[in-house]
Amino acid sequence: MSLDSLFANAEPRRALGFAALLSTAFVALLAIMLHGTPGLVLTPPIEPNVLRLDFGSTTLALPFFALIVLVVPAVAGWGLTRGTATDGFQLALFVLAMLGVLLAQSVAAFFFAWEMMSLVSAFLVGTHHERRDVRRALLSFVLISQLGALCILAALALLGAHAQSFRFVDIARLAPILPAGMRSAIIALALIGFGSKAGLVPLHFWLPRAHPVAPANASALLSGVMLNVALYGLVVTCFTLAGPVPLVWGVVILLVGLLTAITGALYAAVDSDFKRLLAYSSIENLGIIASVAGLAIVAIGLHEPALAELAFVALLLHAVSHGVFKSLLFLGAGNVAEAAHTTDLEHLGGLRRTLPLTAPLVLIGCAAAAALPPLTGFASEWLVFTSFVRLLPAVPSGLAALIAIAIGILAATSGLAALAFVKLFGVAFLGEPRTIHKVAEERVDPSFIGLGWLAFLCIAFGLAPSVPVTLLIGVASTLSGSAIFDPGPLPTLPVLLGALPFLGAIVALAVARARGVRLVPTWTCGSPVTSRSQYTATAFSKPVRRIFGFVLFPDHVEVRDIGASRWFPIRIRYTFTTRYIVDDVARNVAAAAQRFARRTRIVQAGLLRVYLAYAVAAVLILLVIAR
Amino acid sequence: MNALVQIVCLVAIAPLLQGTMHSIRAKLQGRPGPSPWQVYRDLQKLWAKEALVPTGTSALVVAAPGIVLGVALTFAALVPPVAGGGATPVNAVAMALLLALGRCVLVLAAFDVRSSFAAMAASREMTFASLTEAPLILALLSGAIAAPALPMAESGGQAPVASILAAGALLLVMLSETARIPVDNQATHYELTMIHEGLVLEFSGWQLALIQMAGCVRQAAFFLLAARMLPGTSGITLVWIVAFVGLLPVVERMYAKMRLFEVPQLFASAAVLAAASVGLRIAGLGAW
Repeated sequence: MSLDSLFANAEPRRALGFAALLSTAFVALLAIMLHGTPGLVLTPPIEPNVLRLDFGSTTLALPFFALIVLVVPAVAGWGLTRGTATDGFQLALFVLAMLGVLLAQSVAAFFFAWEMMSLVSAFLVGTHHERRDVRRALLSFVLISQLGALCILAALALLGAHAQSFRFVDIARLAPILPAGMRSAIIALALIGFGSKAGLVPLHFWLPRAHPVAPANASALLSGVMLNVALYGLVVTCFTLAGPVPLVWGVVILLVGLLTAITGALYAAVDSDFKRLLAYSSIENLGIIASVAGLAIVAIGLHEPALAELAFVALLLHAVSHGVFKSLLFLGAGNVAEAAHTTDLEHLGGLRRTLPLTAPLVLIGCAAAAALPPLTGFASEWLVFTSFVRLLPAVPSGLAALIAIAIGILAATSGLAALAFVKLFGVAFLGEPRTIHKVAEERVDPSFIGLGWLAFLCIAFGLAPSVPVTLLIGVASTLSGSAIFDPGPLPTLPVLLGALPFLGAIVALAVARARGVRLVPTWTCGSPVTSRSQYTATAFSKPVRRIFGFVLFPDHVEVRDIGASRWFPIRIRYTFTTRYIVDDVARNVAAAAQRFARRTRIVQAGLLRVYLAYAVAAVLILLVIAR
Repeated sequence: MNALVQIVCLVAIAPLLQGTMHSIRAKLQGRPGPSPWQVYRDLQKLWAKEALVPTGTSALVVAAPGIVLGVALTFAALVPPVAGGGATPVNAVAMALLLALGRCVLVLAAFDVRSSFAAMAASREMTFASLTEAPLILALLSGAIAAPALPMAESGGQAPVASILAAGALLLVMLSETARIPVDNQATHYELTMIHEGLVLEFSGWQLALIQMAGCVRQAAFFLLAARMLPGTSGITLVWIVAFVGLLPVVERMYAKMRLFEVPQLFASAAVLAAASVGLRIAGLGAW
């Protein structure tokens, strides 16, 4: 009997899905509480024990468990009233797979959980498989996932072969005596494998297509949690399984991270789809996190454990903070999509009137994503910058130049991110509606408790960053072996920066109330204010598109419907396009792979006697080799 | 305590600096021009007037001027005090992100009033801001790199060339932040060319007074910041500020407003100056 007939009535099924997803948050909580106890071992009766499955709760995974505990209940609550009925079960399986990756303590356990995570997320991405663009996105998602998984498997197999054991404990113990060439090969494979999942440039092209087409609650977990789990894999490989990593690999990861951060920010700044913009911003933030990971490797290579610890705290705080605000924003995007039936910014506008509850929550998420004080994004980004700045005097001058350039790139990234999120909120929620569709009134339901909780976290982590930082120091010090953490002015900084602007807002509102304001029409040279005269998202990002034309290749197509006289066209239609260089390369690679596959298909002639000949040849070759 | 005195002084003289610059520019253009004290009178007049708010806007538009003034005052407080006390190097990032807060609030208000002039200005403001972020942070950091424990001015004394480069980068960024020719024109009356003025086009009366006051304070704080980065003691810092006040109107007189898409070259030069300054410091050329 199928699940469908078991739960013919949709509502109980939805409630069960909610309960299933919520229970995974309890599993994560349990994982935190079981930290320090001996793990669970499932040993199949095969020798050698390649397939042994070890699970255990390690210190490094704790912040990621905490992120799941914080985010998953909110996502579950959203799905209770707004998702489709099957979402809950799929997402529960997805979170369990991610927990499996975080808990895995042996090669087989890790790879099993990793593949499970990829497969379940493929189903989530393919939810709307009736659409052609979804199927295409799904194909590239699955291909890149499997390419990455192969690299990870190769890296783990190399580690296992060296340690003569497939338990992470043994691998980690023997990591310091890895041969240099093998270590480099492992790091390179891990960077490709985990980096492709985390959306690091140039293997990021699938992400802005795949993440936005999933349902909002799935996108929230994909971007908010899964990307962090992918990065966790890289961190575990670099610092536990194959550490200590040579300094030069730290520089490589730093450069890849910076390239990812600026690329993500630039495309987010010029994109005009709500969810795709969020996906590009995820790329940007994962780039920032990866660059700090590279910085930590550099700091360890230079024997600066205190600075490495600072970088780790920055990395973990930014991962948690990004997870929180990105989940909030994706759920908000879900509310927008539900009410307006589109996420295209060109058709949205004035949503603050139709969605009066979603608007302030999304505003908080946008402000956090733009790293504005005093929200969580500010605290974590400040710490990221600080870890770069403090390393500057401690490194040789060649490296110092690189770090100075890195600071400049991060600064430009934060500027572009601010532009992207101001555009997102300003175009979608303020002004007049641009769409011809009717936007539905807001459905007020318990899902707002979850959104409110995430927004509360954005504010709370921002105002009191010492709370998460204190918890993260313990995790960071196990990696860096240092216990000297100097947060600088961070504990008081957000309040210091936010107090006067907040007070100013109160005073301005009070003065307006006391003295009254006169309401007048907006002045636009005497012409009426209509939704058509408003600035659009494309127009807003036009200067950026033009200034960065050397990478964005902006172009426009103009279609004139001239009618009777060419001087009085009936209709002019502009379409703006930007070219994605990496996409072009990926498309060429895919086309080449297809051509190659077509050529090699000759050997698969489908004739029995040819296959028999292959079999005979294979046996002969084996006999020759094994002689 | 020093910091508090500094904010009070800065707020008190900020409109005078602006008024003096207006006055000098008028003289250079061959006009009699307003008195240096005119800005105080303007602010007083605007404060007494009622505010006109476009219909259909949210509380954001009403609260924005207060937030912007709060940001400007906090920014002024973060400038390392002239008399003793040092800024920690990491405040550079805090300063840049703080300015971003004020800017983003004004830009959201511009979207809220639904005027395409305001939104066009908002687009330009955010674009330029994303380009000035890097030179701004690098220039501010430069002063703190050589000697993280020392306040900015002391490290300026150690490496005069590097400090002058950093201050130069900061002044170029300031042209954009304070809406001056060749980036923007404070005195323009043509909406299509406005950047900062366009952004605040819909604000009037006491709301405009708050925003203009915020602009004056932010400008004065930038002057002080650039002066603190240049070599010299407290007394000489004041001389530098007077020099800026004299110099900027001359720059505004000499140049025309640049084309919008040529401005990024200006910011690129600012970035090069800031990077050169950082480079000199990390290359260990202490005497420079």
